[in-house]
Amino acid sequence: MTGRALLLERTTGPLYGLLLAAAVWILLRGHNAPGGGFIGGLVAVAGTAAYAMVFGATPAQRRVPLGPIPLALLGAALALLSGLPALALGRPYLTHLWWNLPLGFAELPLSTVLLFDIGVFLAVWGTLAGYVLALLRGGEMDRGGAP
Amino acid sequence: MSATAAHAPGWDSRFLWVALLPLAGFAGLVWGLLHHPLPWRGAWTWVPSLGVELAVHVDGLSAQFLALITGIGALVCVYASGYLAHEPRRGRLFLILLAFMAAMIGAVSADHLLIVFVFWELTSLTSFLLVGFHHEDEAARNAARQALLVTLSGGLALLAAILLLGDITGSYSLQALIAQKQALAADPRLPAALILLLTGCFTKSAQFPFHFWLPNAMTAPTPVSAYLHSATLVKLGIYLMARLDPVFNDLWLWESALVGVGAFTAVWGAVLALRERDLKRILAGSTISALGTLTLLIGLPNPGASLAAVAFLFAHALYKAPLFMVVGNIDHATGTRSIDRLMGLWRAMPWTAAVAMLAGLSMAGLPLSFGFVAKDLITVAKEDAELLDAIGYATLFVNATAVAVAAVAAVRVFGGPPEWPGERIHEAPWRMILPPLLLALIGIEFEFLPDLADPLLAAATQAMALELGAVDVQASYVFGTVLTATEITLLIGLGLFLVWDRLYRALHFTRWLDRFGPTAGYRFLLESLPRVAAWQTRALQHGRLAGYLRATLAGLLLLAVGAGLATGLNPAEDWARRLQDWARDGGDWPAQSGAWLTAAVLMLAGAAASVAVRDRMALLMTSGLVGYGSAVLFLFAGAPDLAFTQFAVETALVVVAAAVLPRFGPPPALAADEPYWRNALLAAASGVGILVLLLGMLALPPDTTLADWFGATSLPQAYGHNVVNVIIVDFRALDTLGEITVVVFSLLAALPLLGGLLRARREAAP
Repeated sequence: MTGRALLLERTTGPLYGLLLAAAVWILLRGHNAPGGGFIGGLVAVAGTAAYAMVFGATPAQRRVPLGPIPLALLGAALALLSGLPALALGRPYLTHLWWNLPLGFAELPLSTVLLFDIGVFLAVWGTLAGYVLALLRGGEMDRGGAP
Repeated sequence: MSATAAHAPGWDSRFLWVALLPLAGFAGLVWGLLHHPLPWRGAWTWVPSLGVELAVHVDGLSAQFLALITGIGALVCVYASGYLAHEPRRGRLFLILLAFMAAMIGAVSADHLLIVFVFWELTSLTSFLLVGFHHEDEAARNAARQALLVTLSGGLALLAAILLLGDITGSYSLQALIAQKQALAADPRLPAALILLLTGCFTKSAQFPFHFWLPNAMTAPTPVSAYLHSATLVKLGIYLMARLDPVFNDLWLWESALVGVGAFTAVWGAVLALRERDLKRILAGSTISALGTLTLLIGLPNPGASLAAVAFLFAHALYKAPLFMVVGNIDHATGTRSIDRLMGLWRAMPWTAAVAMLAGLSMAGLPLSFGFVAKDLITVAKEDAELLDAIGYATLFVNATAVAVAAVAAVRVFGGPPEWPGERIHEAPWRMILPPLLLALIGIEFEFLPDLADPLLAAATQAMALELGAVDVQASYVFGTVLTATEITLLIGLGLFLVWDRLYRALHFTRWLDRFGPTAGYRFLLESLPRVAAWQTRALQHGRLAGYLRATLAGLLLLAVGAGLATGLNPAEDWARRLQDWARDGGDWPAQSGAWLTAAVLMLAGAAASVAVRDRMALLMTSGLVGYGSAVLFLFAGAPDLAFTQFAVETALVVVAAAVLPRFGPPPALAADEPYWRNALLAAASGVGILVLLLGMLALPPDTTLADWFGATSLPQAYGHNVVNVIIVDFRALDTLGEITVVVFSLLAALPLLGGLLRARREAAP
């Protein structure tokens, strides 16, 4: 980076949080409205890429929970696990189960579907963030910057 | 084995217990044979959707093989525990050996052809690991690869044959196949199936022209050679041919292929034995010869030949395995296997010499040995079969060579002046003496106590010749003619033995054949493979992005034209009619035309700007416009979810590319010889092609079955309003799971590559 872009630096932090919040919102509404784990994951990746563009790959990597590879693996594992409860009940693998948690004022619909979609979200985020950060880091090395 | 192995072996019996496993199997087999009449059957469902069941059918033939596998297996384990006492990795060898044993047992007792195939391939794989056990030795690696490639290619042919046979008869059961002989013989696909089947069997059992892997596989540790390359693995092809002989023995193709290839292999194996100086490779040559004789015997139509094949199979295993072990002992003690350096070992290794003598007696087919019985039966069978004279002389030569090889292994290396130049030699430990001694003694004893062997031989013969009732083995010996035949063979064999060295030099002229033989063909194939791979990598993976793009666009164009031609689509007429209808109805713009127009303008502007703009960042933005334009299109075409995804993908792509691109320095200048106008033409043509194809598709009546079904079932069955998301996470969840797993693993695979690439670039840059 030659010189600093003060305006970008000041806005990127809040923007990152905003993008992540939007990503989670998109993930959660996905079952009944446009959205879902895949799109949410993409939005989160855009956040990571924007952060990395301004502050560099290593700080951006620190902001990805667990780091890209463990996050992606956790996502795939969550999706994999979400199909197991059905097996325990003697139904085909990945038959989704629903459970409405009564909260008094409303019911919270919980399901293995949600677990699965969170898995998709994390896998997409972790993997693409891994690619982006590796490419960025390579670019930095290429120009003799800090790895 | 080097000179270190010549030390007195340590008293390390840690792996001796392994022999108990095959021994238990052998004991169980004997108990079963005594108490339960053959055949034994059983079936368990395995893959019901494919009709594959774990069916077991053990008859006389299978029982004979099981006896060889478990009996010799136990002795080989004992032998190996002595032979490998100083080998630190011997645990691995025992493990693979046991796995091989299990695969062999499965292959000879399964009734379902596909199961036979699976075990067949498992024996090839474990054999690969065993031959390449000393993997730090390049010769061992090459030999292992050769054995694997040859036998696995044959295995593929076998699979094709099995599928064809299953298709013809509608069943994969061996017994059902045997029962459907008539239907099989009438089918026109049978010759193809037979050729494929025989290719598989010939590769496994080292028949010409696939024999060359066997002598090279002698780089394996000796216990492996004794077990796999004389008694079991190479007999698996023989087993399958014998097993299917009752189905095909009337067919001209079967008979002529088996007799022709078998006879030629027998002769060629004998010649190979005469051309070697390495004792182990000499034995390998004579094994090829014996395998050829077995194939020939199976091909002969008369039941006497079946009995001879069964007896010779037994006899061969009982003398060849101990002879291999003898060579192993010699190798262990002296560090060499060259017959030029070995002589007079009888004083230093009296027990090994005794074993060699006993096994050699049987191999030479001398009276008082089981080998004699086998040779006797072979002679009778051949006289019954009215063979060509040439084959008669050929077998005489083959048998005589067997006598000479036996003499070389039993007399030449042990006889002579009782001193071996160099260091002192120790006799092998008991664990390396007892197993071959037992085997060789059994080979002798079967002659004296025929009651033990005859029932098994009779049962095995019956499995090969179904029309046969009871088989009286004793009555099949005809002593009169046979003794003279044996005398002639022995005389010629002794002659061969006496001129062995002169013959070796005389056969030198056959070396030029090697340049054209199967070995050369194999080497040519093996060397061509990387050459072809390198050529096509250079042609296709040249690393120039514009070139990839050209190939992709040209492919798309071809697909579009091909699809148009194949379906005979003519969108022009259909769209002309639509336009007429529209004009007749008053030319109203459809609803939401503003949105359509916006999308079109966005996309056209983006595309036009992309053509004009040269700066990479600007290009990124303008091409992003095309993506946003299509997202707008989706939004108003009733696919908000798709539009959302398109927006997200486009945004993420632009952001990521904007972050990454500037870090990689300035773009390379356009190559001067870049075919600019041809590129433009190709791009335009493929664009038009896709457009025409799309128009054609839209002219067809849409099939909404799937859309309707998902729309109707999404909410009641999966509790979701967003059909797209429900499909992704519920209806097709397994697909999604596979996709995200692939995506995650692509990262794991890409990171090291990316790191290597970047390191290379950094090193290249000053």
